[in-house]
Formats: sequence, C-alpha cells, structure tokens
Amino acid sequence: MEFLGYERPDGSVGVRNHVAVISSGRCANEMAATIADAVRGAVPILHTHPCVRLKEDNERALRTLAGIGSNPNVAAAIVVGVGCENPTPNQIAEEIAKSKKPVETLAIMGSNGFQEVMDRGLATARRMASQASQIQRKPFALSHLTLGVKCGASNATSGILGNPVTGQVFDRLIAEGGTAIFSETTEVIGADHLLVKRAVNKEVARKFREMVDRHEAMIEATGEDIRGSQPTGGNIKGGLTTIEEKSLGALAKTGSSPLQGALEYAEKPKANGLFFMDGTAMTGELIAGVAAAGAQIHIYNLGGGLTSSFRCLPGWAGGLPIIPEIVVVSNPSQPRDSQEKECFDIYADTIIENKETVAQVADRLFQEVIATASGKLTKQEMRSGYRELLVLYTTGPIL
Amino acid sequence: MKRAMKIDPNDNTATALNDIEAGETIRLVSKSGPVGEMSTKQAVPFGHKLAVSDIKKGEKILKYGEVIGMATQQISKGDYVHTHNVESALLPGAKEAK
Repeated sequence: MEFLGYERPDGSVGVRNHVAVISSGRCANEMAATIADAVRGAVPILHTHPCVRLKEDNERALRTLAGIGSNPNVAAAIVVGVGCENPTPNQIAEEIAKSKKPVETLAIMGSNGFQEVMDRGLATARRMASQASQIQRKPFALSHLTLGVKCGASNATSGILGNPVTGQVFDRLIAEGGTAIFSETTEVIGADHLLVKRAVNKEVARKFREMVDRHEAMIEATGEDIRGSQPTGGNIKGGLTTIEEKSLGALAKTGSSPLQGALEYAEKPKANGLFFMDGTAMTGELIAGVAAAGAQIHIYNLGGGLTSSFRCLPGWAGGLPIIPEIVVVSNPSQPRDSQEKECFDIYADTIIENKETVAQVADRLFQEVIATASGKLTKQEMRSGYRELLVLYTTGPIL
Repeated sequence: MKRAMKIDPNDNTATALNDIEAGETIRLVSKSGPVGEMSTKQAVPFGHKLAVSDIKKGEKILKYGEVIGMATQQISKGDYVHTHNVESALLPGAKEAK
C-alpha cells in the first residue's frame, strides 16, 4: 500500500510541507512567531526553554528542537535566536543540516540589530516557502511512515476500545514495514514485565527496564507516592481501579509486535518496527519527543467523559503544528451534542453500540492514517490558530 | 440485554458496556462475541467492573488475563469491583506477596 508524500533529501518522506521557524530559546519566541505569521506555509515552533537549565536538559532541548526541524514534515527550517541561548541557534541548525534540508540561522548577536534580522528572516522564510511549494507529492510505500500515539482522558473504554483499535493499526503498519513509537513511562509501570517479554533481545529488555527503574527512582526521590497521582481522580471515576489496570489498558495501544528498541526522549529509531520512548504523560512534551524522533502523524486516543466535552477546543495542551494529530474517541458523552458529533476524526463507540468490531474500527483508522498522510486535514489541523507554547521535557531544576 | 466485556477468558472481572442495575441479567461478551449470561448483585456504572466469579480476600483480580490488583475483601460473583474492594499489587508490602 502507498501514500502520497513529499520526498526529502535524506530519503525520508513528509506528509506535510512546512517551513519551520524555530525559536532557540524563549527570548526569541516573538521574533519566530512574527516571521512565521507573516509568511504562508511557515509555522513557528515556540517553547518555554530558558537558558538557565542544567546540561542534561539543555542537551535534551537541543535534541528535541533539532529533531523537530529534521522531521520529514519540515521542508526547510530557520532557527531564530538572540544568539546567547543554550542551545544556540547555530548548534540547532548544525544538527538539522545533517538531514540535508535547507536550514538557516538568524541571530541578533553579531547583526545590525533587530530590524535587520527580521527583514532577513522574512525574506528567507518567503524564499523557503516558495521552494517548498514546488515540491510535488509522490507515491511512497507505507514503510516510510512513523506513527506516534498518546492516550488521554483514559477510562475503562480506552483499554477495551480505542487502545486495542490503535494497537491493531500499529501491527498493520509494522507488517507493512513501517514504524510506531509509544511513550509515557509512568503508564508502563505496572505492565512493564509484559513489555520486557516482548523485547527482541536482552539488550533491549535491559535498556527498557533501566528507563522504567530510572523514572520510578526519580518519582520516589521526591518522597511522593505515585499511587497518589495514578490513576487520576478522573480515571477512577471512569472505572479504572489501579495503576496496573490503567497501564495494561494503555499497553493495548502498542499492539502485539515485538519491541525493537527503547529510545531516549527525542531519539530517532535506527530501524523499523515498534519502539518505546522514555517520556512523560504530558501531551505536549510527548508529541514533541515523538515528532523529534521522526513521527509524521500522531494518534491521540481519548477515552471520553471530561475531555470529550472539551469539544473542538484545543483544551488538551500541546498539539505541535508540524505533525497532524488524528483523534480517536472511545466514548463521547451521550447524547452527543452538535459539536461532539463532528470534532473528532474516528469514533470507536460503535463497538459499544454493537455496530462494529474492534477490527472494523481499526480498518477505518488505518485508512484515515493513509488519507492524512496523503494530505487530508485532520480536525485538529482545521481548528483556530490558537497555539500553546511547547513545554520541553526536563528533569532538572531551573537555575 | 445489557452487556459487559470479558476481555480474556481467564479474567475474573468484566467491564460494563452499559449502566447496569443490581439484580439484572446481563450478557457477557468477548472481543469476538457472546460468551454467556449472568446476573448482577450490585449496580455497576458503564465502564466499571463486576466480578464474574467469586473472589476471596487476598486473591488476584484479573483483567486482560493479567493481575490488576488484589481483593481487599471477599467479592461475590455479580458484585461491583472497584477501589472499595481492590488495591494495587504494586503497594509496598504487597510486592512481596505477589
């Protein structure tokens, strides 16, 4: 099977064709937004990373921002900064350049001032957008696709409806030679022994185990009991009793393929197949990490209840403008109001109503993935221009 | 008839696909179809669990064919199963028992 995508110089294939204007630090957000907003085809990557972080967090920020710039959905990138950020605009641009796509740096330091940088930025963005617009979509095998997944507003229906549906889509894409990434380290605690069994070799199992233990130790070091936060009050109200139950339900979205590797946050997989990525359950952080790892499409599995009543509002924080997000909802409130009827991409509650099986809904989602990869806009992409600042994954303090 | 999904054949719980009342006869279904009928003893909200067999205090609670916790009291077939009669098996102290 094939989809229509944009070929990139490094052999990867984009499903979107953006010019990314990436802020290297929060001081440069306004500059990046002003340039991107003035040029059709350009999107700003804005975030909260300050320069006052420790080495590990700065390195992770570099990997994340460079990874987003290297994502196949990005045709060309401009990295904007004052020049004194950590990571610097040059460091980010050098990493993006490894993907062989056009990338330029704009820094106020060493320039003739703000206005000169802005003018140069606008001219560069227009030139890049013009070049990008001349790239035509071509057919490519599904093996070029990488999917990410996250579940939210989990209730007992996520684990028996939406997540098994996504699991079947993961299995099917992997059977076609594609790649799928799941994360949320907290959520695998309680079901980690099952993933260890699915690891392709001892080294993968060891690395996965190490990441889970590291995450648990980090939580325990705060003196807090994880049971206090997982499952959340909303989860319990939805029918989830223990962290194990939530984790097993979450695990259903990984399908049944062997685990090919355990990635650090924002690390790119070096092979195809199913990968775990260390990361938090915070939507924005997770999508950024998965996009930095090269995923072109993200699947968001909503259980229902509270979050489905957010309707078309981007109430769940952190959609990333460069990767389309397909939202699957297992259990919208009944009766659905006029907005709930049309603000999600895939409704899985037909399984509750005895109208469809898990396999039939999975087939619809698989077709939706191919259509989205070929250019169909998702509901999320058609929403308002409201955007959130990306919060990058950090483990250390702000200095 | 109202339904509840028993995901794995070994499970001792099923997840309600409707709001179920006490004393109702319901159909148990697997992912591929109906697997039987039973009656409930207590009300079980949609998406919550009920016991499909008697479970003794300290016994494993099974869903997905895996352990999701331990019974903190005797649970009868048809009872509502949730935080009032189940606790995580990952509790400190329960870890050894597992």
